[in-house]
Amino acid sequence: MPRAIVLHRADNVATLIDPGRAGETCALQGESNGELRLLQDVPFGHKVCIRAAPAGADVFKYGQVIGKASKPLKAGEHAHIHNVESARGRGDQAKR
Amino acid sequence: MAKSFLGYLRENGSVGVRNWVAVVSVMDNCNPVTRAICQQVDGTLPVTTLFVRGQYGRDLEIAYNTLAGMGRNPNIAAVLLVGLEEQTTEELARRIRPSGKPVEAIHLQPHGTINCVAEGTRRALKLVVRASNVRRQACPTSALMVGVQCGGSDTTSGLTCNPVIGRLSDRLVDDGGTVIISETSEFFGAEHLFAARAVNPAVGKAFTDMVLRLEKEAMSQGMDIRGTNPTPDNIRGGLTTIEEKALGAMAKAGSRPLSGVLGYGEAPSGKGLHFLDAPAPAVENLTALAAAGCQLIFFGTGVGNPIGNVVAPTVKVSGNVNTLRTMADNIDFDASDIVEKSAKVSDVGDRLYDYGIEVASGTRTSSEILDVRETAISRFAPTI
Repeated sequence: MPRAIVLHRADNVATLIDPGRAGETCALQGESNGELRLLQDVPFGHKVCIRAAPAGADVFKYGQVIGKASKPLKAGEHAHIHNVESARGRGDQAKR
Repeated sequence: MAKSFLGYLRENGSVGVRNWVAVVSVMDNCNPVTRAICQQVDGTLPVTTLFVRGQYGRDLEIAYNTLAGMGRNPNIAAVLLVGLEEQTTEELARRIRPSGKPVEAIHLQPHGTINCVAEGTRRALKLVVRASNVRRQACPTSALMVGVQCGGSDTTSGLTCNPVIGRLSDRLVDDGGTVIISETSEFFGAEHLFAARAVNPAVGKAFTDMVLRLEKEAMSQGMDIRGTNPTPDNIRGGLTTIEEKALGAMAKAGSRPLSGVLGYGEAPSGKGLHFLDAPAPAVENLTALAAAGCQLIFFGTGVGNPIGNVVAPTVKVSGNVNTLRTMADNIDFDASDIVEKSAKVSDVGDRLYDYGIEVASGTRTSSEILDVRETAISRFAPTI
């Protein structure tokens, strides 16, 4: 069973330390325990959403904000650049 | 109890972990002579550079201070400068002499390449004989200044190698040594946590100002920095945003207070944990850390970045089980027990500290042995 590490109780993503396949159940370790069914393939080292979040919501890892959901996130979904956005160094969004 | 290592005690009381004669190019057009001398003379180390000629103002100061800083580094027993002409060479020489080590110079004008290589080879020979008379002796770890860096990061970096390096940082600070963390852009999103560790509000503000100034400069280009930082390999490794990368990167600095901040080309005046304002890419950042006086650098990597510094031996630490298999030749220390065997960060970090003392005492790193080393001094303005 692929393992996923939760680094802080406030986190809504966990980091897979094994490759995960869609439909597989992954074991949550660290600051949260339990099992979670993966809705998609999640490669080694990538993150899975462990709690649903609406678009625009803060995404937490290490108990800190690592970005915002650019789309609604479902528990079990692969969380990466396709649905989580950085809020820093965004010259493209700056008022000029 | 604080530990000791076997080092080379220098005239000014600093301690080298290596004992090289550095052959230093004053500017880019001198590099071929520098390389030729080092190829001929065992015990020498080439410190080459690009530009310098045509640089002015802040950039020229940074170039001279960085080259001189590498020359002053305690790992260097003596310096042979390879210059084009005397005036610019003297700019470098006068910045190295206060360290008390021998500084000699040769010039391309008017002697030409062949004569310059011949004269430089003779001078380097004598300097190496003299340097080889120095013996290692027991020195306290408080004499160590260590740089902490990461590159080729992924999500394993923040889970394994960086916290392990952080444990080493804490141990060294507790032993009275010095630790420097840098890579300004890799505090975007973590700066509030690090600033809160400053010994006083002025240090905290100076640090935050450096981070926010860089972000403002980047944003003034009107672009999204994603794809450059995090890099494409960071993203393939699972890092989604610069904030996530920064929070993992900061773990290298352990948990001790931030004692001071340094500009590019500056060296710390006291002990403890310091921040150095310098660009994040590995070769540039390693160069800035070595110029600040770091005798050793601990480099955390996830998806793998093999590069090391010329002057400061660079210890590659990884906790990514795939990289440890595919790039084993380039990794010096395996930190994967944290995820694979649920080992404690403190235990693996203590092992890294013990290994670091061995490297300080003479154990060689992969990047030294394979000569996977490079120098790059940051350039911020055009030449004229």
